[in-house]
Amino acid sequence: MSSASTIIPSPRSVANKSQKSKLLDAIRMTLQIESAAVRRNTQGFNSGRYLATASIPDYDALKDKTRAIKEAALIHLPQLLKQTEESVTRNGGHFFLARSGNDASRYITRVCSEHQVRLVVKGKSMTSEEVHLNHHLEEAGIEVAETDLAEFILQIADEQPSHLIGPALHYSRERITALFKRKFRTDLPLDTGEELTRFAREKLRGKFLNADAGISGANFVTADGSIVLVESEGNIRLTSQLPPLHIAIAGVEKVLPNRESLAPFLELLAPSATGQGLASYTSVLTPPMNAAPLLSDRDVKREFHLVLVDNGRLQMREDPILHEALYCIRCSACLNSCANFQTVGGHAFGGETYSGGIGGAWEAGTSDLLNARFSELCTGCSRCVNQCPVRIDIPWLNSNLRERINERDAVAGKGFLQRVFTSQTETRAPLTKIFFGRYDLFGKWGARLAPLSNWINHLPVTRALLERFAGLDRRRELPPFANETLAHAAKTKSPRSRTPQRGRVALFPDIFTNYGSPQRGLAAIEVFKSVGIDVVLTEVSADGRASLSQGLIRTAREQARRTSEVLLKHIRDDREIVVIEPSALAMFRLDYRHFLEPSVFDEIRAHSFEVVEYLWRVLEERQLSAEDFFPASRHPLGQKVFYHSHCQQKTIGAAASTEALLRTAGFDVATSRVECCGMAGSFGYKKDFYELSMAVGEDLFEQVLAAETDGIPRTLVATGISCQEQLHAGLKRSVFHPMELLAAVVQDAAS
Amino acid sequence: MSSVSSPARHDLIVQFETEARAAAASVERVRSSASELAAAVKRIATGRIAVAEPLDLPADVFSELGRLPGVILGRSKQELASCDVGITDAFAGVARTGSVCITVDHDYAGPVSLLTRMHIAVLSAETIVERPADLFHPGCLGGKALQRNFVFVTGPSATADMGPLVRGVHGPHQLHIVILE
Repeated sequence: MSSASTIIPSPRSVANKSQKSKLLDAIRMTLQIESAAVRRNTQGFNSGRYLATASIPDYDALKDKTRAIKEAALIHLPQLLKQTEESVTRNGGHFFLARSGNDASRYITRVCSEHQVRLVVKGKSMTSEEVHLNHHLEEAGIEVAETDLAEFILQIADEQPSHLIGPALHYSRERITALFKRKFRTDLPLDTGEELTRFAREKLRGKFLNADAGISGANFVTADGSIVLVESEGNIRLTSQLPPLHIAIAGVEKVLPNRESLAPFLELLAPSATGQGLASYTSVLTPPMNAAPLLSDRDVKREFHLVLVDNGRLQMREDPILHEALYCIRCSACLNSCANFQTVGGHAFGGETYSGGIGGAWEAGTSDLLNARFSELCTGCSRCVNQCPVRIDIPWLNSNLRERINERDAVAGKGFLQRVFTSQTETRAPLTKIFFGRYDLFGKWGARLAPLSNWINHLPVTRALLERFAGLDRRRELPPFANETLAHAAKTKSPRSRTPQRGRVALFPDIFTNYGSPQRGLAAIEVFKSVGIDVVLTEVSADGRASLSQGLIRTAREQARRTSEVLLKHIRDDREIVVIEPSALAMFRLDYRHFLEPSVFDEIRAHSFEVVEYLWRVLEERQLSAEDFFPASRHPLGQKVFYHSHCQQKTIGAAASTEALLRTAGFDVATSRVECCGMAGSFGYKKDFYELSMAVGEDLFEQVLAAETDGIPRTLVATGISCQEQLHAGLKRSVFHPMELLAAVVQDAAS
Repeated sequence: MSSVSSPARHDLIVQFETEARAAAASVERVRSSASELAAAVKRIATGRIAVAEPLDLPADVFSELGRLPGVILGRSKQELASCDVGITDAFAGVARTGSVCITVDHDYAGPVSLLTRMHIAVLSAETIVERPADLFHPGCLGGKALQRNFVFVTGPSATADMGPLVRGVHGPHQLHIVILE
């Protein structure tokens, strides 16, 4: 071990993560220093957003509106840019379309120099960070005062933003106090938020009153010549209206057709961002505002420059994948709803400017593909998908980025094994991606060769090799390959149901259940049988989840196509598809839209259910009592359970029924409130991410313990196989699938 | 704007008050007259006061404010920045968010509503709409939100950048809304 790995790097030194080692250093740094503050602040935003959006009666309809307006605006972007230029010019302002970041910075610096500007006050602008504007201005001898308090902190600390709307939320109050005391050498008391705010306000008041120019971003630009500035501190109002010269800088994608089109965006932005109805100040301006008197003794006129930045965006517009990122309105809901982001923030899950799930596409589009390497921290858990006010499928974006990065890395990696696997699987990706992405192959052979394969797997030398070549962390217990697969076991167990027949299903033996955890499937069959639901098994088919999560998109598409044929055969035989592993079901209900014809996708989606979801539906429709079939009082481990639903299960709306059924059956159910357990499929098995995965899991483990303060342990129940593994790893206790819980009662009742 | 029946109007006002308070503003209802408004301001405003000429309320409603003690006439940055209270009118209120809409380029309403420590916004009960989107219909309040330079003000300025939530940053520490009925 070199000593380098024990020194904590500065955020700046790991801002660019084109090399993997920087990403790993950044994770280590953030877990040690920034995690607690990031967690508190992002989780605060996250719960605020859930509350605020729940109170919007037409939330989904608004999302459809924003999506449609953006879609049209992106199609007509060149015309809208032209219109914007005409409007701004007609209103007496100046318009500049900057092809590159350098062009933008040079233009702004020139305008400032021409006006003999000595001091610029600046409002928070990610676009100005992207184009390194401050650096250019300072080179020209112009003082730049960042006036957003978070940006003020970052300017003092020389750090990049760690979040789209709270760029310094990785700083705890205590760390800000220490920073100010060190940098300002002051004896003033700075031990509360109020004292720190007053201190910064007073420092910045003078800057506002003396500034020659103000530079702001813009949340929206309208082609009729208006800009929208959203903020809570008042610094952007001052920046844009107090000095005679106002320059607004924004990406070209911010342009909407007109003021009318702002309505749904304004109603979604603040609720999605901070959980407020509107931020403290939402300014809608058509500058230069010549009617507004200037508070100046000099005889000057107001002047306004709108600088719209291309810097790769018009190319993103042509890219079938990166195009999606242009819808983004920078609300940060995808950051706040992401378990990994909540744990490390944007200094690990982010690049030089942009962060979080959406950040990878932005770094790839405005700088370089490899600068999006941090998007590896997107596990595809999908919790952000329903949170996005413009309906961006962020996991899909990141899977595609992964595919592109895989190809670059595979070209760079020339080892023997790499060559063998690349040729065998016709996949250009690093070994570790192929290993985790093709569990269907490994599972098949592992189960065929079990128990020998399990014996081999447990040898220390095997674990060392797997860690070295496949990136599989040796601290993780490997789920054993089943001696008998579900498909085989189900045949011998005669899954014919008793009469009356209350439903017809085809159970999809997903590869994880089939090769790794057949007892979950057998329990489901047992339970269905007891209720009178007729069960057959579909053929075993890799659904594509594993490969999609590793960015092996061509493989996933092929698997989706094959699986869809398997499913359709049963659907047309008048059976509903029931699925044990939620990540497989989420493929059918969510991700297959990227792979299948819309009509095929719709048919599969409409006929696919999570196993308990289907069971609950039958009980509800036929007004049968869950308590009669599954009396919780007869469970050998007692009625108290802790239930953790799977991330993708929540996203597709298949989580609530399990909770409802268990409660109705008489279980005393405590539930987790985390977005994701941290394992997230294969993510937590990877050596690179083991520590992060366990850190994410802490919230879940604590919630279990907090539900047991009466000293009575609860039976742990989880629907996802990797969630089960994670709970087991964190708490060293057995974890059951809900069907196993119910099967235990059925068995007990039968005996 | 479509006419709103009076029970519905009453509900909108109540919702507006609730939401404005939730956003940490204070709110009171006052009968629409110059003397009532001056009395209301006098009860709450102390120190140096700057008044921006109203744009949407009848000018005579503000006519007695100029005679209040502490009212300053100077309009330099320093003078406005050292003011305790700034009074402006608002052309609309939004019930769902508790916001008031201030035109920022009329008279000194921009700096008066921003540089002072307490902003008093005066609004007619008739101009309260249900939600932000309503204002972006051309027929709503004469399309003012489609034409003006304005700001939705929702509570006092605030930050969470220094750790806990702090009210009163670069803008006012306090927002007081007077609804004229």
